[in-house]
Amino acid sequence: MSSHREAPAISKDPVADNTDTYAFVSPDDPGTVTIISNYLPLEAPFGGPNFFEFGDDVLYEIHIDNDADGRPDITYQFEFTTEVRNPDTFLYNTGPITAIDSPNWNRRQFYSVTRVDRWRQRVLATQLACPPCNIGPSSTPNYEALASQAVHGIAGGHTVFAGQRLEGFYVDLGAIFDLGDLRPLQNLHLASMVPPAPGVNDSHGFGVHSIALKIPISQLTKDGSVPTDVMSQKAVIGVWAAAKRRRAVVREPGFAFEAGPWVQVSRLGNPLFNEVIVAMGDKDRWNAVPASEDKLFLHYVQHPELAGLLPVLYPGAFPNLAGLKAARADLVAILLTGLPAGIVPGFQNFTGNTYADQLRLNVAIPPTPAGKVNPLGLVAGDPAGFPNGRRVFDDVVTVELRAIAGLTYPLVNPSYTPDAAVNAITDGLTSASTSYLSQFPYLGTPQSGFATTPLAA
Amino acid sequence: MSDLTRRGFVKNSAAATAGITVIGALLSEEAGAKTGEPGEKAVVAYVRDPRKGEISVLTGDREVHVHDRKLAAAIARAATDRR
Repeated sequence: MSSHREAPAISKDPVADNTDTYAFVSPDDPGTVTIISNYLPLEAPFGGPNFFEFGDDVLYEIHIDNDADGRPDITYQFEFTTEVRNPDTFLYNTGPITAIDSPNWNRRQFYSVTRVDRWRQRVLATQLACPPCNIGPSSTPNYEALASQAVHGIAGGHTVFAGQRLEGFYVDLGAIFDLGDLRPLQNLHLASMVPPAPGVNDSHGFGVHSIALKIPISQLTKDGSVPTDVMSQKAVIGVWAAAKRRRAVVREPGFAFEAGPWVQVSRLGNPLFNEVIVAMGDKDRWNAVPASEDKLFLHYVQHPELAGLLPVLYPGAFPNLAGLKAARADLVAILLTGLPAGIVPGFQNFTGNTYADQLRLNVAIPPTPAGKVNPLGLVAGDPAGFPNGRRVFDDVVTVELRAIAGLTYPLVNPSYTPDAAVNAITDGLTSASTSYLSQFPYLGTPQSGFATTPLAA
Repeated sequence: MSDLTRRGFVKNSAAATAGITVIGALLSEEAGAKTGEPGEKAVVAYVRDPRKGEISVLTGDREVHVHDRKLAAAIARAATDRR
């Protein structure tokens, strides 16, 4: 998926598995940027009695680079603590949870938010309450109102939420991982056994745990300004998220002793980077190293394996792509440096020549009005969307598939003509495949366990 | 090594580097912990390479690097002692 279970090691550690990162100018509060970092892939909503929660033993981080060196200048850290009211029951709740401080909620989670500006550290809030998971109408009636109580205004004009949300990333996993047999294009596929069909959103109804943070733009830029000049370097910030664990763990009966500094075990800037671009043998290492060292993985971006596979899987559909052997400077710009001025008229999100997987957001570009939004983002003429940051509903699967297939190569080599099939590439889904909120925290209300039908039913 | 007790570990550490001195102080505090649970200042020693004498000592959110061939060798011997 975007980065769900994308590497061998982190696929066995879901609590620390960073699945998606979003960064966009808040559509209903354009003086702010909202950054969302998701963890815990593919939560089945009925997964009790120990419903999903953040790890008390994980340090969650959101990084911002505002001086174009690939290193964090601002880091927000989130640390969680779980409190059990009554250890003598197996129940998550002993009655309806009608308020976030309900005595019926037995297993509650709280967190702190700390901002680190290089070496200066400031605790913005402590003991902030998470909402419970959405269990069902008997346990969590009026869940939307309940979850809204977990939206907290904290120091520095920040707004924060941490808890369960509906998965916002839509993708036809079954088709993509069945040798790239995209359902709408099955008639063109080398080995497809069935006729074309609409795409299937395999993340439909699953939950995820989100950390959403709304930040005044003036708190993110290097000089504290609110840029209005799109072409100014000061207008661009790099954003990525991570999860860290303690270096040592000693397991004792019933608990674990942990010690040592935090060690990064997961990170994520652009969707699908580690999942689709980086090869199996390097995925765990990619999760462990800082974004500023992504030069180590440059060759994967310059010569993506998928670009070589598409002409094989779809014989005759991609003759121009099959002949494209040059390093993919377009993908390097989109994923590792940002697009410099002069590539897309009136747009840039360049952060310098340090190769780093980051979402690059030009905060001087205002949100696109709701009626004019295009989930295909910049390549479809909507500059407020991916790869200018990433909005919750952006169709990043289609955008990246098309880019890898050659759609964006003319940006760096105008003599190249993308294959006619490129614009047909899609996994057959749209943002209507799931649902969102029009206000913070923007990701939709999670489905309740009671209302969820298992896959096979 | 037959003397890999807390007391022996600290005693062996006394002749070593400043980093090892830190271990001794921390272990003294840890001695007051409740039975069955490590104290807040418990430490983990990771012998990275016994031949080189490289030891990482982990406590709280810190990692202290210690270079002590004698101590590393003693721990390595204890690890293979079947008694």
